[in-house]
Amino acid sequence: MDETRRDVVVVGGGPAGLSAAVAARRSGCRDVLLIERDRILGGILNQCIHDGFGLHRFGEALTGPEYAQRHIDEFQDLGLDAMLGTIVLSMDRGRNLYVSSRKGFTKVSAGAVVLAMGCRERTAGAIGVPGTRPAGVYTAGAAQNLINLQNIMVGRRVVVLGSGDIGLIMARRMTLEGARVEAVFEILPYASGLPRNIQQCLNDYGIPLHLSTTVTSIHGKERVSGVSVARVDENRRPIPGTERLVPCDTLLLSVGLIPENELSSGARVELAPRTNGALVDDGYMTTIPGVFSCGNVLHVHDLVDHVSEEAERAGESAVRYLDGGTAPVEPAVPVTAGRGVGYVLPQRVSGARDFVLSLRVTEPSRDRAVWVRDGERKVARKKMVRLHPAEMVRIQVKADKMQGAGRLEVVVE
Amino acid sequence: MAESTNRFDVVIIGAGVVGNAVARELSRYDLGVAVIEKELDVSMGTSSRNSGVLHSGIHYKPGTLRARVNVLGNEMMKDLCRDLKVKIQYIGKLTVAQDETDVETLHRLKEQGEANGVPGLEILDRDGMEKRQPGVGGIRALWSPTTGIVCPYGLTIALAENAHANGVEFFLGREVTGVDRDGEGFQVKTAAGEIFQAKVLVNAAGLFSDRICGMLGIHEYRIYPCRGEYLILDKRLQGSLSVLVYPAPRKGGSGLGIHLTNTVDGNILIGPSNEYVDEADDTACTAEIMAQLKKEGHELLPGLSASDFIRSFSGLRAKQVPPEVGGFKDFVIEKREDVPGFINLVGIESPGLTSSPAIAVMVREFVSDLVPLNEKKDFISERPGRAETFAELSPEEKADLVAENPDYGEIVCRCEQVTRKEVQDAVQNPLGVRTIAAIKYRSRAMMGRCQGGFCLPRIVQILEGDFGYRPEDFLLFSGNSRLFEGRVREGLHADG
Amino acid sequence: MKTKELVCIVCPNGCGLEVHLSEGESPEVLEVTGNLCDKGPGWAEQEVLNPMRTIASSVLVQGGVFPLVSVRTDAPIPLGKIFDVMREIKALAVDAPVRIGDRLIEGPAGTDCAVVATRHVERA
Repeated sequence: MDETRRDVVVVGGGPAGLSAAVAARRSGCRDVLLIERDRILGGILNQCIHDGFGLHRFGEALTGPEYAQRHIDEFQDLGLDAMLGTIVLSMDRGRNLYVSSRKGFTKVSAGAVVLAMGCRERTAGAIGVPGTRPAGVYTAGAAQNLINLQNIMVGRRVVVLGSGDIGLIMARRMTLEGARVEAVFEILPYASGLPRNIQQCLNDYGIPLHLSTTVTSIHGKERVSGVSVARVDENRRPIPGTERLVPCDTLLLSVGLIPENELSSGARVELAPRTNGALVDDGYMTTIPGVFSCGNVLHVHDLVDHVSEEAERAGESAVRYLDGGTAPVEPAVPVTAGRGVGYVLPQRVSGARDFVLSLRVTEPSRDRAVWVRDGERKVARKKMVRLHPAEMVRIQVKADKMQGAGRLEVVVE
Repeated sequence: MAESTNRFDVVIIGAGVVGNAVARELSRYDLGVAVIEKELDVSMGTSSRNSGVLHSGIHYKPGTLRARVNVLGNEMMKDLCRDLKVKIQYIGKLTVAQDETDVETLHRLKEQGEANGVPGLEILDRDGMEKRQPGVGGIRALWSPTTGIVCPYGLTIALAENAHANGVEFFLGREVTGVDRDGEGFQVKTAAGEIFQAKVLVNAAGLFSDRICGMLGIHEYRIYPCRGEYLILDKRLQGSLSVLVYPAPRKGGSGLGIHLTNTVDGNILIGPSNEYVDEADDTACTAEIMAQLKKEGHELLPGLSASDFIRSFSGLRAKQVPPEVGGFKDFVIEKREDVPGFINLVGIESPGLTSSPAIAVMVREFVSDLVPLNEKKDFISERPGRAETFAELSPEEKADLVAENPDYGEIVCRCEQVTRKEVQDAVQNPLGVRTIAAIKYRSRAMMGRCQGGFCLPRIVQILEGDFGYRPEDFLLFSGNSRLFEGRVREGLHADG
Repeated sequence: MKTKELVCIVCPNGCGLEVHLSEGESPEVLEVTGNLCDKGPGWAEQEVLNPMRTIASSVLVQGGVFPLVSVRTDAPIPLGKIFDVMREIKALAVDAPVRIGDRLIEGPAGTDCAVVATRHVERA
């Protein structure tokens, strides 16, 4: 079996992987390899043809492919190396990766690895939608791929379950292409997607959004013929007597994204239950020395601009690690999610450098502040007019504020 | 009179595991054999929708047909799976006693099993139990080493493909609507108006075997479909179970007696439940049962998390007794004297999978009474290929395969590591089945945790690019289960 | 006087705005309340009287490595014109190669924008 050794290997060629690779190169590493399973670079952005990407990073509202192209141009201008159509099948603690492509099954050993594999969609099977199993049930992202990249229409009369942004975007997309979207159903009492998307994907087209409602059954022997929906109580259980039948031929699911950490688990990278992504320190290094994680595989992002930023830091850290810099300045200060906070990462920090905390809150609120505390002492604070679980909050923490902190807790007040 | 042209010595109705086992057994002989199946693929009924367990035979009364074919079939499975390249593991089973009444049951089962000829049965104490399954509960257990697991649809498909390689003709997508009798035998009519002429007719129609009986004027049988729902768990939990663990059966026991079963592919199944339903094709899943299965799953596997549930499915048992009567009826495996030439198989529920090779031998004996059997010199007993998937090979074996054929290097299904070559082979299956489900059951693509989210678009690309499929050609499992509704943009479609 | 409620999308604060309109066939905006900054009222007035949108879709490509090229309008268009613009997008087929930024339709449906390609599509 062929074996090669590279200094920095980046797994994944979407915005995270591309950013990390470019950052690694810019930090001085000349031996960077990016491995991407598709035949082209760009990752999930290739199918996200709607705009709204890059408002922070470029000051423009780009579409997904345009944003990806900015990174791809940078990557190619620097003459960086990529193995396309190549999948990493497994990785061990020694940073040996077994990769497969039409060219061969080979082993790549890495000085440092940056994991940037993105995420996958939660399925109908995983949430256990009762009923039959006909054709016509798709996750929103799979439908998006088929429609935008393969010129295939998945159905004509659509129900969307889940008011996350992907579901809203696809509701609009299907409508523009001549399908009829009957409704979007959301089990929570509030919408998961951005207000902009509620307006521009649903209200603009008269598509109703029904909160506190879920799909209780799929009907149809061969192709979807309809779904039963019911209102739910405060415990998200269907309320008897509220069921009604919605005829349709397609059910699109937008019920959550899960970081795709199969590779990481195989290498025994420790994952955090709250994010389903790796436990990392302030350099985005996982519990395996020399293995870094960034982008959606670390935690699901809502703004790709943040993905690029985070990945740059991870790429820089990978090079520092190679140079012997990151080593045990023990990231010994744990960071935990307190009241009102769903999760926060990194989960442990060294305090030796400025760092960024990324977090999500547990419920919508207005006119609050997010505090980073060491016991009673305030380390950082960010006032927020609007807080929503769908919108990641980022807080800069200065190293000089850490002052020998014992542990950090992040809360909403 | 319609043009018949389809004349066979033996016609088998139903391409489930029993029908295909019979077909394969009969294909050893110089006979014209046909299998007629109403679905577009084989193994579309109960044969794909069960625990995949090869039972040892301890549960059945000595002297019953069930007990006999179970034990015989279990013995035959090892060589059969080796020849057909089907994954099989004799992992053994602990039937666990929680109290003294249960222990008495264990002794009864052991005696019963031994009377049935089941080898290796042993009552184990805690030490013995711990050795086999660390952390298992209970005070005593009956160890049955011949209990195993097999891929049920893998076996059913393999039987069909080997039968086909040996000359059996498969007529898929044909529903039998009537059977006439004449001097020469039977005229089997299908919904499309075809007629198949047979000297011998074998009823292996499973959930619909009573309907075939009815077509022949036999009204003493009725099938009561009894549904069992399952949940499939992520392969992450592989290794949680070393052996099968069942509770000792109790009279009038509460709960569903739900247990965990390993699959040969590394998943764990929770189930099955027990619920009589009205329709013989009602394989829906219900909220109540799924909730119950989840709850039991969490109790049996403390490390289980919500994201470990991949999918639910259900299968129907062809029970011969209605719920108000209860109990069991023995297998019906008979050569009818009142309808000469008709071999009737009714009510082949559990242990039907295990028994299938032995049932096939019984049917062969019946056939030999009706038509002369001459063994073929050139019978192909082995199926080409290997039992393991690409994903299960060693790194060196993988490297060699990819070097030989780049289609092995391209991974199409990320969750199950299914290669382009395996998908192509599945599309080009010997029986000519062109559904998406056919690819799934033959290659394992779309069976992983993302359930096709990643691989379906790639499979679509392969089918369009390599095999010229258009959007309307994509059928999930049947003629009306279309995946798509045309194109987004019509016109000259550029191939990518 | 009529009142419309909107969630402002100019920045992540998402202020809940109340737009007070005069009665009649062509209402005028009398007042906007609820905004934390001065960008809100301007946006709200536009949104209520003449909402503008950018749209994204796909155009058929002939002879390319992909069957479709993703496109968008390079400037907002009136909400009411969306389906007219979509009709022109659906009727178009272009030949590969296509480059990001290529202007594929000028002023579709009489609007003040162009439909531009948002990805490269090489020749097959």
